[in-house]
Amino acid sequence: MAYEEVKVKEPIRFKLLSIMSLLAFFGIWEFIVDAGIVPRTMLAAPSQVVVLFIKKLTQANPDGATLGAHAWMSAKEAVTAYVLAIIVGVPLGLFMGWFKVVRGIFRPIFEMIRPIPPIAWIPLCIFWFGIGIWGKVYIIWIAGIVPFTINSWVGVNMTDPALIQMARTYGATDWQIFTKLCVPSALPMIFGALQISLAYCWTNLVGAELLAADKGLGFLIEMGRRLAMPEMVVLGMVCVGIGGALIGVVVDKLEKRLLAGIRR
Amino acid sequence: MERSVANEVVKHVKEKKPWTVGRVLTNEYFLYVVSFFTFLIVWHYIAAAGLLGLATPEATLKEMVRLMSVRLAGKNLFGHAWASSRRIIIGFAIGAAAGLPLGLLMGLNKYINSIVKPVFDLFKPMPPIAWISISILWFGIGEPSKIFIIVIGSFVPCVLNAYSGIRIIDPELYDVIRVLGGNRRQEIFYVSFPAALPALFAGVQISMSVAWTCVLAAELVSSRSGLGWIIIRGMKLTKPELVLGGMAAIAVVAWLFSVAASGLEKVLCPWKRGIKEL
Amino acid sequence: MNPKIECRNISKVFIQKGKQRVHVLEDISLEVMHNEFLVILGPGQSGKTTLLRIIAGLETPTSGQVLVDGKEVTGPGQDRGLVFQSYMLFFWRTVMGNVEIGLKLRGVDKKKRREIAQHYINLVGLQGFEKHYPHQLSGGMKQRVGIARAYANNPEIMLLDEPFGQLDAQTRMFMEKETERIWQTEKKTVIFVTNNIDEAIYLGDRIVTLKDKLPGRMDAIYDVPLPRPREHTDLEFVKLRQEITDRSELVL
Repeated sequence: MAYEEVKVKEPIRFKLLSIMSLLAFFGIWEFIVDAGIVPRTMLAAPSQVVVLFIKKLTQANPDGATLGAHAWMSAKEAVTAYVLAIIVGVPLGLFMGWFKVVRGIFRPIFEMIRPIPPIAWIPLCIFWFGIGIWGKVYIIWIAGIVPFTINSWVGVNMTDPALIQMARTYGATDWQIFTKLCVPSALPMIFGALQISLAYCWTNLVGAELLAADKGLGFLIEMGRRLAMPEMVVLGMVCVGIGGALIGVVVDKLEKRLLAGIRR
Repeated sequence: MERSVANEVVKHVKEKKPWTVGRVLTNEYFLYVVSFFTFLIVWHYIAAAGLLGLATPEATLKEMVRLMSVRLAGKNLFGHAWASSRRIIIGFAIGAAAGLPLGLLMGLNKYINSIVKPVFDLFKPMPPIAWISISILWFGIGEPSKIFIIVIGSFVPCVLNAYSGIRIIDPELYDVIRVLGGNRRQEIFYVSFPAALPALFAGVQISMSVAWTCVLAAELVSSRSGLGWIIIRGMKLTKPELVLGGMAAIAVVAWLFSVAASGLEKVLCPWKRGIKEL
Repeated sequence: MNPKIECRNISKVFIQKGKQRVHVLEDISLEVMHNEFLVILGPGQSGKTTLLRIIAGLETPTSGQVLVDGKEVTGPGQDRGLVFQSYMLFFWRTVMGNVEIGLKLRGVDKKKRREIAQHYINLVGLQGFEKHYPHQLSGGMKQRVGIARAYANNPEIMLLDEPFGQLDAQTRMFMEKETERIWQTEKKTVIFVTNNIDEAIYLGDRIVTLKDKLPGRMDAIYDVPLPRPREHTDLEFVKLRQEITDRSELVL
């Protein structure tokens, strides 16, 4: 038999290097703060951050909410806006890709709004929605919708022209070609937008919360600055990082499963 | 135009169709114009009716024209646009100068990769905007703190794209150089770098849009100049035409930046000119 | 006369996807004479590409050795030029840029480089396309560039790895004629790998067939004494074709 299974050992030194590098990173960080090389008003040591993390799990002071409440608020905003972005962005992009009239109507507006960074909407949002959840949802939604629209649009455009011609020779209507051919063939591109959009959403969520919020991880970071508590700033940043990574993993799993679903 | 080699022909032709009323009405470009003006008219009536706290498009335009000559906090509109642009250019230059070589090195060398990657992965999921607060703690509210955020914001996509740009190169392309008698250094100079160039530019373009978000956030939080400051100023004075004018100015300048970036790409990657853009 | 290339008992075992061991070649021994056009004929998945890559020096055999002019091959070198199945053109360089790359690597000055490259661009019939980028060319034209690139480096041995596998039948026949013409203009020792019997008989001085399953093993060697240029409908041609087909289990 030509194929046999064998076990090959991965060279361990690369893993070792990675672990050493991480240990060195945290070690140096702890050291430069503990030894006073960087003043404590500017940076907190990892150990301080851990201590604050445990404390903030149960205590609402001094910023008004527990860590769980902040995280829940951010997650709620992000997920709401993300889902809304999918609901609006994907059909918009699909229709823009296939129907010339839809493209003609929406493209100029889309192109006018696209270059404006979502953060720039904050003053209008505060005016329209106050500093509650919907203002932030609006900003995150604006950020998240762009990749979905573009990818759906490109996805439809990438439909194999031979397939479209084949469908036409069988007498399929425009609408049938769109729903039976273009939409399925655009799916991989749309799934590709899941990650990109998420990254945009998460970035702009932090921005929105820094500027107009009374709860949320971004607000936690900003309060840390105002209260001159670097450990709270770092804690907020770490939570934002972990939160982003967690949602990223979930979306990645989802994307792989969806893609496997079409390939079958 | 037609050229041929033996049995193979390369032909370039242009297609022409006659104009009819129906085709004009459903013509994409005609609809673009209709859509654009409808948008302005709807905006005008909403604003004129005093809904949503908007200023009319003409008031916004008038305000923008006024700001071109009148100074606001010592700078006219161009001055503020330059203040924002300057921050982006400096921050981006530093971020790219650090990020692109690092990403390339990570792609080319396994040892560097296994040392840098884990630490880089810690920072990767952290949005650059999250650095604003700590940046103010470190650098105060002056220019350096704003530039620092843009450095962070452009650094990450630059590293990522340079790294993946190297990684997606077909290893057989290196074989070409080896078979022709080239050494490792030549593999890097004649294959790795040029083949990774489009990916580098993708990174630059992403960095650019991240940088605009960053600079705005930084200016909204604390500043005395820049387009973000104009917006905040408009909000504080409840002058919606100032807010909308600021947004429009940002859109124009950010768009100019992306045009410049893709123009530069066309110059530096001439082989991409003929490939149909998506 | 000593053979130009000599393969002695070459075997190759790959580790695939980190845990699959694949036996690709087993006990391959062959000799190629000076300026001979040798064709290695085998179906897909018979290890022919690996054999060629070993001769090129891009892979090391698990056991056995390759000798060129009596010296053992330890790595790729300028004396052996390789033409890739999937062209492997540098998409960021023009036709001229691709053809002159080998000379550039060796530091030949620009004027000389251009002159030599132009000669080979003309030889493969691509004059007028020097400033085109690969994506602007058809498949057949791309492979012409690939051949010119290998030739311009002036190797003593040309290794061609299913160079026309991705072309349509018409273009393929045409390119076979071109290959013969180019080879007769500038004689080299050639090893040409293919899975196409007609192509093999049309081009080869000698044909080596491989068995159709991994690991690849030598099956038979045929001499092709037909005069050039050959005709596909020639009686001798058809007879030889029948003989090879009968003997091997090649699926046509």
